[in-house]
Amino acid sequence: MSTTSSLKKTDKSTTNNALYSNQRVTDDDIFRNSSQFSKWSFTKQQLKDIRQNLADETLLRFQEKLKSYLAEHESDNFLTDEEKEAISSEFELGISSEEQLQIVSLYAQKVQIFCTKLKLPSEVIATSIIFFKKFYITNSVINLHPKNLIFTCIFLACKSENHFISAETFASKVKQDKQSILENEFKLLESLKFSLMNHHLFKPLHGFYLDIQSVLYGKVDKNYLGTVYEKSKKMLLNSYLTDVFYHYSPPHITLTALILEDEQLILKYLELKFLGFDPLTPEEKLNESQLISKKMYDTLMKTIENCKQDLKTSLLPDRETAWKIDARIHYFLDPMSFIKRFRAQKESNSNSNDASDEPDKKKQKIE
Amino acid sequence: MSELFVKEKKLGEGTFAIVYLGKKKQQEGEPKDEAYVAIKEIKLDLMKQSDTGDNMGIDISAIREIKYLQELKAHDNIIKLYDVYSDMKTNSINLILEYLPMDLEKLIKKKTIIFNSMDIKLIVLQILRGVNHLHRLCIIHRDLKPANLLIGENGLIKLADFGLARTYDDGGINSHSNLTNNVVTRWYKAPELLLGSKNYDFKIDIWSIGLIIIELLIRVPYLPGKDDLDQLNLIFKVLGTPSEKDWPQVKALPNYNTNLYMYPKPNRQEWRKRFIAISDNFLDLLMSMLEMNPGERWDIVRCLESEYIREFPRPSDQMELVRLMNE
Repeated sequence: MSTTSSLKKTDKSTTNNALYSNQRVTDDDIFRNSSQFSKWSFTKQQLKDIRQNLADETLLRFQEKLKSYLAEHESDNFLTDEEKEAISSEFELGISSEEQLQIVSLYAQKVQIFCTKLKLPSEVIATSIIFFKKFYITNSVINLHPKNLIFTCIFLACKSENHFISAETFASKVKQDKQSILENEFKLLESLKFSLMNHHLFKPLHGFYLDIQSVLYGKVDKNYLGTVYEKSKKMLLNSYLTDVFYHYSPPHITLTALILEDEQLILKYLELKFLGFDPLTPEEKLNESQLISKKMYDTLMKTIENCKQDLKTSLLPDRETAWKIDARIHYFLDPMSFIKRFRAQKESNSNSNDASDEPDKKKQKIE
Repeated sequence: MSELFVKEKKLGEGTFAIVYLGKKKQQEGEPKDEAYVAIKEIKLDLMKQSDTGDNMGIDISAIREIKYLQELKAHDNIIKLYDVYSDMKTNSINLILEYLPMDLEKLIKKKTIIFNSMDIKLIVLQILRGVNHLHRLCIIHRDLKPANLLIGENGLIKLADFGLARTYDDGGINSHSNLTNNVVTRWYKAPELLLGSKNYDFKIDIWSIGLIIIELLIRVPYLPGKDDLDQLNLIFKVLGTPSEKDWPQVKALPNYNTNLYMYPKPNRQEWRKRFIAISDNFLDLLMSMLEMNPGERWDIVRCLESEYIREFPRPSDQMELVRLMNE
């Protein structure tokens, strides 16, 4: 897992023994022994493969559904050839891995919005989003529509982060049926591979905030640094909507957000922290220990550069794409609804030739 | 997955969980694994039909236990969680845990066993190491007591029962402290908890360990209060009522009563009289673990680095504990 490479100097492989010997246990060792690292960290290729496998399975299920639907109406002449063709080409699309990611990201954003409305602490918000996204790493959106998982995730995240609200109170606060919230809790826990601990970004953020003050003592205004802190925190909250937490360690993500906020300041800090000399000094002028520091520093910079790209990449779909994916999930559950819509559209097209070809907008029942 | 283990007999039963003694099922072509495991079966149906009729979903203590044990697989002094699986047939979550037949409470009660100072140190050191690992990971156990310190057949002491554990939220500009003080079994409850503090920290575990160690020495619970009020009174009677001088914020705590009887704080000579047989350094450790003011109480690292741990005699070999257990 090279992308999760260490921030720390001591990048030794950790064995169980390391935790019980005289060796000092580093924060990095702790992260590498966490379930977040062992169960939920992937290389980009691994994640891509997992998602593709899921999309392949989903497509198979679309095809099976189509087959049985067509077989149902084999003899009753209910469907015209044109309709058969239309539904076939729609169902052949399945839900691609990109589409699944897009629609899940969109609903993950809704999780975030609901949490904020409920005034939940940052850790609970972050955990709710992570739970939500992880569930759809192994479950297709056609198994359980994302809108039906939002509150289960928030409820379990509250419990897991020790922000306890009774099921009754929670259900009435979010105006949902209690049973519908609890129904999928078990399935969610199982999909999370029973791994509930998330190493959040707010702790390293606070750590860097303190360390920057001590490393750049007298060179940075505390109030200004406070602004950088708050802005970075906002960015970090949104980072949970991207894929970064599968690929990078929490301090890496945090540093990247800080750099995006004020590159000059943070580079100065890292230089003083890890080098103590100008990073542009030619290698032949460095002594042995400086060379080691330089190598480490370069690795760190490379990781941050990669992370920057991922942090800036929005996974959210535009409205029309979102609508199309949502509609297709619906068609899978109820193929008849596709035919109905197809017929209605055809009718309206023949009635007025200039009718827009944009599908009639069925508004999401989400406030 | 559930087919991999067989439940052999029931070991115990709680509100939502049943613990079984189990074994790995023999797989074709594989050698038979005779090692026992403990299987904790958490019934989801039972939660649905709890007495109040209020379905809370998966019990929070089960969630805590799963959450923390997943992260604590790498330390010898913490019970190992081998696996978790869900069983749709019985609608339950099953935790496959290390089977540990003995615990410190049973060992303490077995009056035929006599611990020498090396045995004591072996036990103390292992408890401290386990708790150090927890605290390093920012986890407070919140229910340390002899019955939750299990002992393996190899003489290793293992922290168990993480149903009350939680992560300590130590920072962030926006951090908020609102912890419940309804934790820890009464006799091992730190004074700040009894006084109603809601922003306590790792030091509550240190207090519990201090009392566990004394119990190990005197072989009976040191401060067996009848209820929470009695517990607080007992603590003050034995260890002195804290004044603002010893503990500046004490009067601000919710349950602090200004009419408290001011018992004197025992001095070193008094402590010495109570525990005649232990070394000076050991006495220092105990006094520092049972410091009333959590700010003054030693943290786990300080305890591990204490002179008592460094001085002779060295702790006995863990096989010695095995020998004692089987006596």
